[in-house]
Amino acid sequence: MTGRRVAVVGAGMTRFVRRAQETGKELAFQASKAALDAAELRLADVDAVCLTSAPDAFDGVHRKGDYLADGAGAWGKPFIRTYVGGGSGVFTAIQGWYTVASGQADVVLCVAEEKMSSCQPHPQGAFLTIFDNIIERPLGPNLLWIFALEMQRYMDRYGLDKRDIASVAVKNKRNAAGHPAALLGQADITVEDVLASEVLAWPVQRLDVSPISDGAVALVLASEDAARRLTDRPVWVQGVGWNLDSTYWTNRDLVYPEYVENAARMAYAMAGVTEPRKQIHVAEPYDPFDYKELHHLEGLLLFDKGKAPEAAAAGVTARDGDLPCCPSGGLLGVGNPIAAAGLMKIAELFWQLRGEAGERQVPGTPERGVAQAWGDLMQVGTVVVMGTEDARTDAAGATADQPATMLGPTPLSDAAFRAAAGAVETDLDVRYAWDPGEVMGAFLDALREGRILATICTACGRTLVPPRAFCERCFRPTDGWTEVAATGTVETFSICHVTWDMRPLEVPELPAVIRLEGSSDGGFLHKLGDVEPSAIRIGMPVEAVWRPIAERTGSILDIAHFRPRETA
Amino acid sequence: MGPRIGIVGVGWSGFRPTTAGRSYKELMFEAATAAYVDAGVDPRTDVDSFVCASEDVEEGTSIFDEYVPDQLGGVQRPVHTVAADGLFALATAAMLLRSGIANVVAVEAHSKASDVLTPGRVDAFAMDPVLNRPLGVPALALAGLEMRRFLHETGRSVEDCAAVAVRNREHARSNRRASYADAPPDPTPLFDPLIADQAARSADGCIVVVLAGAQTRADASVWVDGVGWSQDAPSIESRDWARAVATERAAEGAYAQADLAQADVDLAEVDDAFAYKQLQHLDALGLASIDPGRVNRSGGALGEGHLHEANGLARTLGAVEQLRAGAARTAVVQSWRGVPSTSAAVAVLRAAG
Amino acid sequence: MPVSFRYTPGVGNTAFFEALRDRGVFLGSRCADCAVTYLPARIFCERCFASLTPDIECGPEGVVVSWTVAHVGIDGERLDPAVTYCLVQLDGADTVLLHRLLGQADIGARVRAMLSEDRTGAIGDLQGFAPA
Repeated sequence: MTGRRVAVVGAGMTRFVRRAQETGKELAFQASKAALDAAELRLADVDAVCLTSAPDAFDGVHRKGDYLADGAGAWGKPFIRTYVGGGSGVFTAIQGWYTVASGQADVVLCVAEEKMSSCQPHPQGAFLTIFDNIIERPLGPNLLWIFALEMQRYMDRYGLDKRDIASVAVKNKRNAAGHPAALLGQADITVEDVLASEVLAWPVQRLDVSPISDGAVALVLASEDAARRLTDRPVWVQGVGWNLDSTYWTNRDLVYPEYVENAARMAYAMAGVTEPRKQIHVAEPYDPFDYKELHHLEGLLLFDKGKAPEAAAAGVTARDGDLPCCPSGGLLGVGNPIAAAGLMKIAELFWQLRGEAGERQVPGTPERGVAQAWGDLMQVGTVVVMGTEDARTDAAGATADQPATMLGPTPLSDAAFRAAAGAVETDLDVRYAWDPGEVMGAFLDALREGRILATICTACGRTLVPPRAFCERCFRPTDGWTEVAATGTVETFSICHVTWDMRPLEVPELPAVIRLEGSSDGGFLHKLGDVEPSAIRIGMPVEAVWRPIAERTGSILDIAHFRPRETA
Repeated sequence: MGPRIGIVGVGWSGFRPTTAGRSYKELMFEAATAAYVDAGVDPRTDVDSFVCASEDVEEGTSIFDEYVPDQLGGVQRPVHTVAADGLFALATAAMLLRSGIANVVAVEAHSKASDVLTPGRVDAFAMDPVLNRPLGVPALALAGLEMRRFLHETGRSVEDCAAVAVRNREHARSNRRASYADAPPDPTPLFDPLIADQAARSADGCIVVVLAGAQTRADASVWVDGVGWSQDAPSIESRDWARAVATERAAEGAYAQADLAQADVDLAEVDDAFAYKQLQHLDALGLASIDPGRVNRSGGALGEGHLHEANGLARTLGAVEQLRAGAARTAVVQSWRGVPSTSAAVAVLRAAG
Repeated sequence: MPVSFRYTPGVGNTAFFEALRDRGVFLGSRCADCAVTYLPARIFCERCFASLTPDIECGPEGVVVSWTVAHVGIDGERLDPAVTYCLVQLDGADTVLLHRLLGQADIGARVRAMLSEDRTGAIGDLQGFAPA
């Protein structure tokens, strides 16, 4: 690595709240100011600003980065917002790393902000448009579906017990009980509480999920020379990695996050970590849902595939266990203002490795930790390895418990939010006419005729559904067309009892990934019908039920649903 | 710091007012394929990192980053998105290369403006929701306001601006990518003193640029010797209304990195989303007295079409072509993100050899 | 997307809107170190991050910094009649306000803020600026 060494020298955060009075700019300011104060720096000392924030549709401002720039201290400074969906928070530190390592700047302020409460009637609405505009959005997909589909697949493959998974929610909410910024800390929560909570989209239940929140986090990163001037105990960014998998998530097996492993290997290689299970002393994996922490711990190579749940249930990942995970309380315990929550994990490692985590401090003297986030369409892994170079002796140079001061924000009750003076309401009424292109256009035309088309790559021999003009594996144009039967198997499924804005459904929806016969891992998201929810099994043979010809329009909805197929 | 950064390949697709029958994915695949052929690289094995520039609301998709890797050869590779203009992605590539974490980086930006039925509503959604949007003021009005103040403070005239539009379209006639070289003059008033003729019209297109450090590829045809970026106050209330302050600051950084003497600059490819902006940007770049014949020889956005977040890479493409052809030795490339943004980036490019 | 947005004005704007609604005054914040008075009021200085207090009354008159006549609306539709917008720097402020120009005035002209009778605490409480 030709670049310079980079260290974290200060961190700050706001409280995570359900709804903040402050604008996103003011939230960013509060966290940024706290970080600068912790590092004893003035804004004039900052050379460049790196910011992340998740979909613009939360705060409700296009080019949210520009809008937030003044609150993030970027007036007149080099400023870029990077954006990798839910992976963004951890990526802020990666962006800060390359900004300093490259020599572009000596002192960088890294800021992550989210004000999800602006999105009405429910911030989950912002996720309606993460799905493919041509073949997924017409199905009305709910964000919960993709987590439920992934959780189902993971549980089914390894025969996992929900009790073990629920233990993660319990651990994290208990870990957060003493965290001054936490929204969801709960000292007395039990596995029974989680298992008794409302089923949202089976197997996902309400207490398996971290709800939406508002908040911001900021760090100060510095070059080695600057870091040594600013603090006695810099925490080094020893390794960074990031990796993005294919958009075609329905063609991937969700049982294991390969892209998290790829990102972890990249970070471990840079950090010189050859035996992560020995060399990583504390971990902050991304935990928007309890099963995700486990899924990600396996992707981080800290546990064997399928083995993280039993380790968690046995207490290995508790704060006083062999490998403390999410000692902060994670997203499940502190809250989930998406980008801010990811950066909070880096801040937590910074405080833990300096012995400043107060009640949350893991015992012993951890010297190296890993933080990880995830996002996009079950697609991206972002990983940072941080470490101290000198063995820390307890209490030597330890400062006040962190986060020490939080400037805000001002939480608003639902009533106060509705009544806020000067509040402005608006719709987002932007209209698009997405050109499907020739290949998808042909696919849709064929659906109208009751046929499912696929494209072929003769180089790798795959038959691809959804069809595409290029093979993403070989990076070459696809060579031809073929037709596949409208039959297949259920790769994974869910039973969803709520709408996207969390209202109960009388009749549950049955989203599923259908693996089509005759294709190479080909298939798409659709719904099951003509079946009792309790009878659905992974691997169940199914067939398409087509709408009457007169009702077809050249859409994925020309298939009404898939139903069980009798096999001879 | 780190190796000298070179451009080893460029590719493009589209550059037409509409690109019917091709989705953004196909436009990207076509441009990427051309860039990789030009660079002589296989993205599946030779490209270490990919940086894309996009904004969700321009695309109509939340987390547009999800939809980029397949058509760029980036599946299961380090890929990330900057919510900015493509020139910021190019600057990011320079940082990745200097950090040592990558030896070859591909950068992408595109416009599929023809998919957007209500562009004015997209721009309006970028304005402050509490202080500015409730007025119902179109974002383009900010161009009228700034143009008037700029003319007032600098003593330039509306005719000076008109001359920019005429010259850029003239330059565009020699550019096969240009859609608007022969657009008939349109004196329709938009936001006084801005008339339609002086506002670039949209086009679709995609540009991919492949960069590598000199230690990896000594055969780069163009060196990226300096990059800089900045923004003025994002708020309407506290920004400078006459000077392109962000461009001034970005240029300072880029020129220092490149150890550039302005007198050496023999080509400038700058943002001309509005004709007056070209003059304002040249002022900010310290190039007010450059021979107008050496500015936007590609035709700029007025001639090629406004490619939204891909404008910076469109200007880069124009500069690279001219440097490779020996028509210039030292180019300054600049982008501005368009109303209501104040963000700008600058790069200094030199011909190799 | 079947979503809508509800934006809280934030701490700084709330102070500004409450003063406008209740007292008909324009409240800003001053950063003494940077010698900048922000209008509407802010809780932080964007240049130096000093924490600011909303306590500087500005206006109600000021100077036109720029103006434009909008002949088209957000969807490109012709506006008939056209609408004139302006940027006004109220006395005591170092920043400008964007609003409608009620009448005609050129750069440098003095104008006066015209308030609505029924004010709710929003930017619409200001009807625009008219020649003073």
